[in-house]
Amino acid sequence: MIIKLERIKIQTRKSEEAIDITAKVEEVVGKSGVKNGIVHVLTSHTSSGLLVTEGIPCLEEDILTHFSRLFPENESYHHRRYLDYDGRLGFNADTHLKSVMGGISCAFPIENGKLVKGSRQTIYFMEYDGPLERTYFIQVMGE
Amino acid sequence: MIDFHTHPVLIREFVEKYPNYERSARQVFNIGNNFQPLETFLLQMDVAGIERAVLLPIDCRRARKDGVSSNDQVAELCQMNSRFIGFASVDPLRKGAARELENAVKKMGLVGLKLDPALQNFEVGDKRAFAVYEAASALGIPVVIHTGMSWAPETPLEKGQPLLLEPAIRRWSKLNFVLAHYAWPWVWEATALALKYPNVYLDTSCLYYDSPREFFQSVFNKQIPTTVIERSLRNKVVFGSNYPRVEIKNMVHALKSLELTEGCLNKILKDNAKRLLGEL
Repeated sequence: MIIKLERIKIQTRKSEEAIDITAKVEEVVGKSGVKNGIVHVLTSHTSSGLLVTEGIPCLEEDILTHFSRLFPENESYHHRRYLDYDGRLGFNADTHLKSVMGGISCAFPIENGKLVKGSRQTIYFMEYDGPLERTYFIQVMGE
Repeated sequence: MIDFHTHPVLIREFVEKYPNYERSARQVFNIGNNFQPLETFLLQMDVAGIERAVLLPIDCRRARKDGVSSNDQVAELCQMNSRFIGFASVDPLRKGAARELENAVKKMGLVGLKLDPALQNFEVGDKRAFAVYEAASALGIPVVIHTGMSWAPETPLEKGQPLLLEPAIRRWSKLNFVLAHYAWPWVWEATALALKYPNVYLDTSCLYYDSPREFFQSVFNKQIPTTVIERSLRNKVVFGSNYPRVEIKNMVHALKSLELTEGCLNKILKDNAKRLLGEL
């Protein structure tokens, strides 16, 4: 049984963006030595996300636009208060809710050393509160 | 556009380079966010439409063991990127503070003074501080002074009362005082000082409850009428974010949500800062 964990840093450059990380996940799987198993991808933040959809710009835009429609920045949120552990106010409830809605992880099978996924499926790191340097995890498990 | 109030306390590159940098951010300044590469600071400016940012250190080594950034660190950041405008901080109660300020301006290229009576634990009327005001006046640099409430620990509110500054404002009439955080909650007192004295400016870096947009509506629309800024203080208010306690973009959006004319916004976001920096 092989278990390998990589912590990947990514510098986001906009307030919100969808970043295709499929090639990175495939690269980590390829280097892991795992022939048959599973790969799990997970963001380490609560105002970013991980999701899978068809890899085309119109859908990237639709996801961000409609998440913003569901959770408008200017809605009233209880989270808008002083957070003593941060020394600052939390006023980004909308970004947390987008993360909850879109999800924070995904998993794919590995077969013969390669990621098994649908031809249209693309893995995205979702930034909802950037720009920030972010970290996500790729864990590969198998034999 | 210029952000007149930022603190370079979460720069990742400084964590390993300066041993006390992390402790200062966590325990003295009191901020829990992750350290970020310098690039993030610049990108935060980009998404907010900010071209240049004033970097403010606080020399509170006597009062708090560590300072909140140092003059050397600020000068280093200014060397690394021309979008940064560096201010110096000196402790008015330490011997040689005036000379130290003069060196910071003349030798290190810093262009303003930052003071925080609460965090630095000094009285603004203490005669030992007069030499620093005198030096700043002679150097022709502005002083950004903390007024109002502070989120840093062990910072009594009473030291942030803006009226405590009136004697110094009157005595050093050539020295431009920028009252940080609009002196919240004493916004009427701060407004009165800015209305009365030509050498008093106010920065917008205040957020103490709700969201930036809600807070600005509460303070700059209900607590004082927006028309006071539009009509009477359009040349006396400068934009400040207080980043990284608040993201710069949120404060820009909050300011723009007020019913201010384009001409007034341009002054707050650019012209007034340039005048204070001697660029106009």
